[in-house]
Amino acid sequence: MTDPIVIERLSKEYGQYVALNDLSLRIEKGVCVGYLGPNGAGKTTTIKILTNLLRATSGRAYLNGEDVINHPKSALDHVGAVVETPEFYPQLTPRECLSYIGTIRGMKSSAVAERTHAVLEQVKLLEVVDNRTRTFSKGMKQRLAIAQALLHEPAVLILDEPTSGLDPRGMVEVRDMIKELKKTDITILMSSHLLNEVQEVCDKVAIIDRGTLLTYDSVQHLSATKGTTVVINTLNPITAAEFRAVKALRGVRALKRIETLTLVAQLDGGTKEQFTVLRGILATGVKVTSFIPRRGAIEDVYLSLIPEGEF
Amino acid sequence: MAPSSARQIGTVVKYELLKYLRGRRLLAIVLLTIIISSIFLIVPPAIGTQYEKDPKEFIGQMLGFLGILSILSATFFGADAIVSEFESKTGFLLFPNPIRKEVIFGGKFIASALVSVGTIALYYAIAITSVRVIDGSIPANTGLSFAYALAYLFAILAISYLFSAIMSSSVYSLILTFFSFFLILPIVDAVGSIAKFKPWFSITFAAGIATYIFDIPYPTDKAFTTTTGPQAASGASQTLSLTQYYPEVQLSLYVMGAYFIVALILSVLLMRRRQM
Ligand SMILES: Nc1ncnc2c1ncn2[C@@H]1O[C@H](COP(=O)(O)OP(=O)(O)O)[C@@H](O)[C@H]1O
Ligand SMILES: [Mg+2]
Repeated sequence: MTDPIVIERLSKEYGQYVALNDLSLRIEKGVCVGYLGPNGAGKTTTIKILTNLLRATSGRAYLNGEDVINHPKSALDHVGAVVETPEFYPQLTPRECLSYIGTIRGMKSSAVAERTHAVLEQVKLLEVVDNRTRTFSKGMKQRLAIAQALLHEPAVLILDEPTSGLDPRGMVEVRDMIKELKKTDITILMSSHLLNEVQEVCDKVAIIDRGTLLTYDSVQHLSATKGTTVVINTLNPITAAEFRAVKALRGVRALKRIETLTLVAQLDGGTKEQFTVLRGILATGVKVTSFIPRRGAIEDVYLSLIPEGEF
Repeated sequence: MAPSSARQIGTVVKYELLKYLRGRRLLAIVLLTIIISSIFLIVPPAIGTQYEKDPKEFIGQMLGFLGILSILSATFFGADAIVSEFESKTGFLLFPNPIRKEVIFGGKFIASALVSVGTIALYYAIAITSVRVIDGSIPANTGLSFAYALAYLFAILAISYLFSAIMSSSVYSLILTFFSFFLILPIVDAVGSIAKFKPWFSITFAAGIATYIFDIPYPTDKAFTTTTGPQAASGASQTLSLTQYYPEVQLSLYVMGAYFIVALILSVLLMRRRQM
């Protein structure tokens, strides 16, 4: 079976400026991929080409095995997308906008009505279903955009910075929605410049900078190779014997006391290893009050791959 | 599976019409049509004069604003049809769907043609009814006049779509459409009359067939002179010779048809190429 999203040697030039440089990416079914990169890296450009908003200078892109560039109609058939923050027709209500989009996608009116209720409930816009979108805030438009992308239960979901424009609660809600969707076999490509978001939500991460793909790997694998830095606070000052015991634990690469009650530990691996180490520390009798991973593994990879002074 | 393009066109037409119904422009142009028409019905009794007795003259008066109403229809319903999807970012919602750009274009054009034709039809309906009631008969060639008016309407609507596919801003496209037909081309037509060339290629000149068709027989080009400046006795008078040109029906219909087809093809091509 073909992979749901296939990008082959894609390039996009704006005049002299190369926004995408020979980019290839293949995303397997059922995987949620975070598309990470600094501002201007080419994330939106990639997504616009995938969604028939932009023509590539060269290269190919396939959605569900169909060529987006030459056969956009069939390629976009089972795709839902949110690109930038779309605007809605101000004269229409969410119900009418969804009905318009749903009918274009070939949904029956009964299915549209049923799904409209479901998706608007999901994004918490049910109360304004019959209000004109003219008055909607940016956050409401963003949520309506997510609702329309999910309306026809697409096999592939393409999201460009889905949490941008949302307040903190809205961000959490959208992330929870995506996590909920991952329980189905939907394939998701979501761009983001938020490292913690990608680490929290996605299975795999593709990092792009200046139009070039730098790495494409699973979040777990990246965590396992990069390790984690953990800040440990204790109730009492740690004794020399306790310090040696903790340092000797398996999985602890390095340990440093930075304040009376604060240690910084360099650990191998990801969350699993963190758990083992924490259990080991508690077993030595040290009274731990907090145990906080300082930076995500993705952040380490990101910072090592992307040169300074870019954002 | 996404529906056939034919069914999708129907969907686009339906929602474009819904947008017109909710917006102010359709209401504005319908009100304007009614107000313009009422002027000719209210003013004569109000100032104590009689209605024009000759049905041909009377319908000529009543339809005196045909040009401006057609231009306003094209401006309101065509001039920002394409550019607005790009400029106001609604294209981000519409374009990533399993629908061809030509289908979106077709649906939009049909919807704007329907409301524009509706406006002109309302205008003719009021004029015809008034003439029938007041003068007792409908002048010959009224049907032809309506047909020619629609030919002009379709041509300028297509050109307004072309502007909306080219321009980067709705406001500029609206201004360009309105002033091209209201000011720039009429100036070309007037210059023609002085410089002695017949502006047969001008769409606003060709539009004249919709009202000249009431004249029987159909008028032909006439040269005449006017005297300006001090009177001849002083020896410094100037005579200005002008030609009153009349558009030929068949040629004008070809001109309108050519504008319609070329503008429509160009706008579809430009819209397809246009990027968000
Ligand atoms: N229409 C355009 N014309 C010229 N340059 C553009 C255009 N759109 C985007 N760019 C440039 O292409 C680069 C990539 O942009 P984009 O894909 O939007 O980045 P990202 O979404 O990763 O922040 C940026 O440097 C941007 O300035
Ligand atoms: Mg972007």
